[in-house]
Amino acid sequence: MSKHGAIKLSTLIITALLLAAALSASEAARPEGTLTVAVATFGNERWLPHLYVGAEDIVLKPLWENLVSRDPKTGELIPMLAERWQVTDGGRTWKFQLRKGVHFHDGRELTAEDVKFTFSSIAREGSANSLSTEFRLIKSMEIESRYAITIHFDKPSVVFANKVNQGLFASVAFIQSKSSIESAGEDGAERRPIGTGPWKFVEHVRGDRIVYEAVEGHWRATPNFKRLVMLKVPEPATRMAMLRAGSVDVIEIGGEYVDELKKVGVRTLTMPNVAWVYVILGGQWPTKPSYDRAVPWAQPDLERARKVRLALNLAVDKNAVMERVMGNLGSVTGSWLAYPNDPWTTDALKNPYPYDPARAKALLSEAGYPKGFDVTMNLTAWPGRGYLPDVGEAVATYWEKIGIRVKRRPVDRAVFAADFRARAYPGVTVAYASPVVGPELWDNLIRISHSKAAVQLFIEHPKLDDFLDRLATEPSYDKRVKIMRDEMGPWMYDYVPAVAIGAAHNIAAVGPKVGDWPLIPGHMGFHNWEYVTRKP
Amino acid sequence: MVRFLVGRVLQTVLSMLVVISIVFVLTRLSGNPIHLLLDVNATERDQEILTRYLGLDQPLPVQYAIYVKNLARGDLGQSILSRRPVAEHIWERLPATVELGFVAMFLSVLIGVPLGVYSAVRRGGIMDGAARVFAVLGQSMPTFWLGLMLILFFGVVLGVLPAGGRGGLEHLILPAFTLGYFTSAAILRLTRSAMLEVLGSDYIKFARLKGLHEQVVLWKHGLKNALLPVVTFAVMLFVQFLGGAVVTETVFAWPGLGRLILESITTRDYPIVQAGVLVLSALYLTGNLFVDVLYSYLNPRIRRAGA
Repeated sequence: MSKHGAIKLSTLIITALLLAAALSASEAARPEGTLTVAVATFGNERWLPHLYVGAEDIVLKPLWENLVSRDPKTGELIPMLAERWQVTDGGRTWKFQLRKGVHFHDGRELTAEDVKFTFSSIAREGSANSLSTEFRLIKSMEIESRYAITIHFDKPSVVFANKVNQGLFASVAFIQSKSSIESAGEDGAERRPIGTGPWKFVEHVRGDRIVYEAVEGHWRATPNFKRLVMLKVPEPATRMAMLRAGSVDVIEIGGEYVDELKKVGVRTLTMPNVAWVYVILGGQWPTKPSYDRAVPWAQPDLERARKVRLALNLAVDKNAVMERVMGNLGSVTGSWLAYPNDPWTTDALKNPYPYDPARAKALLSEAGYPKGFDVTMNLTAWPGRGYLPDVGEAVATYWEKIGIRVKRRPVDRAVFAADFRARAYPGVTVAYASPVVGPELWDNLIRISHSKAAVQLFIEHPKLDDFLDRLATEPSYDKRVKIMRDEMGPWMYDYVPAVAIGAAHNIAAVGPKVGDWPLIPGHMGFHNWEYVTRKP
Repeated sequence: MVRFLVGRVLQTVLSMLVVISIVFVLTRLSGNPIHLLLDVNATERDQEILTRYLGLDQPLPVQYAIYVKNLARGDLGQSILSRRPVAEHIWERLPATVELGFVAMFLSVLIGVPLGVYSAVRRGGIMDGAARVFAVLGQSMPTFWLGLMLILFFGVVLGVLPAGGRGGLEHLILPAFTLGYFTSAAILRLTRSAMLEVLGSDYIKFARLKGLHEQVVLWKHGLKNALLPVVTFAVMLFVQFLGGAVVTETVFAWPGLGRLILESITTRDYPIVQAGVLVLSALYLTGNLFVDVLYSYLNPRIRRAGA
């Protein structure tokens, strides 16, 4: 063969090899197959920003995107629909520069108008959105250009990025298309929702299923699966059977099933530190009309009240509760609503209140209750936290051992929600798990424990109000950490506001089709479906 | 006959009015749906706006009058949760329930009737005993437990049938059997006792004396008369399945009307609960009416007594 011929042949071979490689790469990139997920609830099954509450997070995240997200490895803020952002004036001004060339599923390009429209919808009167009260703090929004919007607040909003963050549970400020909603009307937009996410809407049968299809060539990530089907399966035993039978690939399941899943060899993924479990001691709101001074743990004699609260803590074997009721999915800790790896959690704060029933009885006697007292324990389940009635039952049993007479009362969440708002449950206790709705402790507390908050799920105290007010307006992250670590944390530990159980994890059980799945730390629900890889 | 029919129809309408009135009041006593539609942090103003939008700020008699007026126009109202017409939700779920109910009824009759006949003919024998054990088990086994056991065995261990959800025919087998087993036991016992009564009658003895083949005596002459109460029972069963399958629908994640009503009760979606109960009551009362008419048509003695 001549030299020229050899070169020609080599070129042909190399070209053929490169072409084959390119073809196989593009084949590998194409989404394939169906990922089927069984969940207990779809929430209210609404699609417009002023109509969904936030519990729908799990079924809305495939379709939509927020301005920012969080890195699955570090938990740090990362860009999403916003390429970059700037915080000035001590947190009173936030400027977002949007990514160019992002399109909604109907082809319309995302612009600053869509952001303004979405935030206005969330803030409107009568809005059901869990972020409505925070978005109503927005003083004004300026559209600087097609892709830039500036948001102004009267008072500093130092963690506004957490409200527009894909990487947090119930952070549901998903950006929706102004023109699509206006042209389709609300009814049309509810029936065929449009988003910018890596999955587009196919079908929604209320109470049964939601079907999505992969958006190929999505700006962020083309999913590995062609279809994502979410099924509503209320019964956990049925979800487990469907997973084992291969009818579904992912199920949400409670910690109480962990041992059973291990026995049958089902793989589980843990979402660590997603909620903080405690038993609320209702009635600690001395300035409100519904305050009842006869409630032992909320009485005007602060020292006696504290002894009662401490006794209620010492009476409970939290390790046993964590192990037997919550399947060891969590860690017992005394750091109120703060997690073991948080920078504001010290070793001292992590120390759980010990299990010491003898001392608990002695403290009750000292406080003036040698024969105990009567209390009601509401047993209420919350979405994604079905173990709570069992936690309440376990705690009630421990209290009975030190002479407290506990009346159990199964109460529907809807009924109890009215009580939270009205502070109408003095003297009532209930096990609750506060999910992580902001990466900083105070951001969670301010919603449920400030005296001006719409609900009361913890305590009211002027000192706590003061901490929260300072933290909400402190622009320096390091200073906020210092306040939480050195001042607020130790104060709460000493005050003993409730009965501490600790940090809880969530688990997902997955089938053989599911490969890697990067989950964001602290995010309670399922998410990042587009990054789930397929096992052959 | 016409007077009988008119009377029964009027009775049916009156009964439905009473039912919807009771349901209307009971649903409103169950709690306020606003607390589930809004986040816990919602303000009083948000609650006021939504309450007004949903018409829940009106006095109860006014709400009732509006409801009855709309009902007379065929308007079942709007879902509180979805704000879509209730009729849409009912139509969406009814086919699944009818499908399940029909197949469950079919299985009940397919299992219950032949076993009942056989049990009557082989009275006192081993098969009679076995059939009666089958019947007792069917009527005492909790549907919930049976459903889960079937899922475990056929869905997980053998892997031959789906573990839940709605799909093709194979998805119907386990839920239909779960729902139908209880009633197949009832049909078996009813058929058995009806057959025993019929087999002791003179015309059967005569048919045997005539030299007719035993299978003809049993299936043509005997069963035809014994089936009368069974057929009427089966029709009522079907109607009962439509509303009473909520446990089966929950265990098998079957998207039927029973589950819709249950979920609507949990979420305080009054219009759907009211409409669901109305539809089921209408079906039940109509079924009852149909059974009465059918019975009087099939049994000349009743027709002559009513004339």
